[in-house]
Amino acid sequence: MSVFAVGFADLAGSLRSWRLWTLLGWLEIRQRYARSKLGPFWLTVSMGVLVGALGVVYGTLFGQKLTDYLPMVAIGLVTWTLFSSTVNEGSMAYISSSSYIRQVSTPRLVYVLQVGWRNLVIFAHNFVIVAVVLAIFGVKSWLTLPLVIPGVLLLLANALWMGMIAGLLSARFRDFPQIIAALLQVAFYVTPILFHGAMLSQEHRWIVTYNPLAYLIDVVRQPLVGVAPTASTWVITVLMALGGGLLALWMTGRYHKRIPYWV
Amino acid sequence: MSASIRLHQVCLDLPIFDVSAQSLKKRVMRLGRRNRIAEDNTGVIVVRSLDDVSLELQPGDRLGLIGHNGAGKSSLLRVLAGIYPPTAGTVEVRGRAVPLLDINLGMDDQSTGRQNIRLRGLLLGMGDDEIRAKTQDIADFTELGDYLDLPLRTYSSGMRLRLAFAIATAVDADILLLDEVIGVGDASFQDKAARRLEQLHARAEIVVLAIHDPKVIRNSCNKTLWLDRGRVRAFGDVESVLDAYSRHVAA
Repeated sequence: MSVFAVGFADLAGSLRSWRLWTLLGWLEIRQRYARSKLGPFWLTVSMGVLVGALGVVYGTLFGQKLTDYLPMVAIGLVTWTLFSSTVNEGSMAYISSSSYIRQVSTPRLVYVLQVGWRNLVIFAHNFVIVAVVLAIFGVKSWLTLPLVIPGVLLLLANALWMGMIAGLLSARFRDFPQIIAALLQVAFYVTPILFHGAMLSQEHRWIVTYNPLAYLIDVVRQPLVGVAPTASTWVITVLMALGGGLLALWMTGRYHKRIPYWV
Repeated sequence: MSASIRLHQVCLDLPIFDVSAQSLKKRVMRLGRRNRIAEDNTGVIVVRSLDDVSLELQPGDRLGLIGHNGAGKSSLLRVLAGIYPPTAGTVEVRGRAVPLLDINLGMDDQSTGRQNIRLRGLLLGMGDDEIRAKTQDIADFTELGDYLDLPLRTYSSGMRLRLAFAIATAVDADILLLDEVIGVGDASFQDKAARRLEQLHARAEIVVLAIHDPKVIRNSCNKTLWLDRGRVRAFGDVESVLDAYSRHVAA
């Protein structure tokens, strides 16, 4: 079988085992919040506090109108959390599932999809904050709102292929989880989450223009702040998902056999 | 479809990363070095855990694996389960192979016994319908009663074992792979486990079990494979191989 065929076959088998990865994803959340009264809603609370604090402090610092700035920060942070923790935990996907991988033969991508599912569930909890902020400051446009669904799916697809590659590299070279965490930390500050492109002077605009992550955030954020994402935003994010997805599947197929030896 | 297993000159090399490489630093450091002959090309230490193993099993075969610790029994079971693809040689396994290698696999401490039945069932490739149909059977075998609705962290290790064993043996497997699992547990459990395995003979077409106790092999196997440092030392009917093995151990 060709390398691509192995990758695609694994993806198909993994998708068919959806019961397994949805359950594994839930278990992890349940373990984290076992026996706490609020359970996973602690996520909502801590995200709410973070959004409130950062929104007020940076809003004042940058001299922004809170009615515009707070929704932007809330949506940006919630979206960024979905992206960065999927990639971050994707790098640990195979390593932390080693006990499963070495005991039963399941499709491999189950362990990456599990990460995606878990973070989607967490995103749903965090989204309560976005809903509250929008309720307080008002929805700019109801028309663009439904576009958030393809937006989130595109963001997740991109995060997943990055997670797939990160997982493979990290299983083989144990330094990668640290490297990836550090890169994501830097990416957070150069991506328009706490600021937006218009706040930069013309000569610094390139930070946003040439940052692929900026488009990924925009494709989710803009529908929520009443702006339809531009055609170039859609094209860039879709092409990234396709290109990256193919690369990730190729790598998964290429190293499919090696994974049980690495973990 | 009838189950069958055919191994042809299978070798399995396990890389041991902890000892040397698996770190990017070492990769990068090596780049600048001019003389690399002193090391092997990857710097990874490799252990050959199966060496030229050929084997054929037909429906109805019950194979007992014996050998010292580290002789390759678990590795062989993992190759048969499709977990480790072999380094060389060919593996042909027809039928659904269900491994029971580690009793703690897929056991989540915070979940109840019933939830664990589902988790482990899914990991072993069962569907939800199949799991639902088997739950009562599993519950009966474990005799855990109301404990099934308590989280697993309240279980004793014997209770865990019973649950794990019950789930693995509830799957409609064509091929069942067992690793030293029946040796543990109290006497009454061992009795029950042996009886359950006998019932399985009607369902599973091939059983491979690794175990130290010759008595169990005499009772439930019709073939024995003696592994020694990854190589087949003897393969054939139970008595002759066990005799040779016990002479070797005594010597």
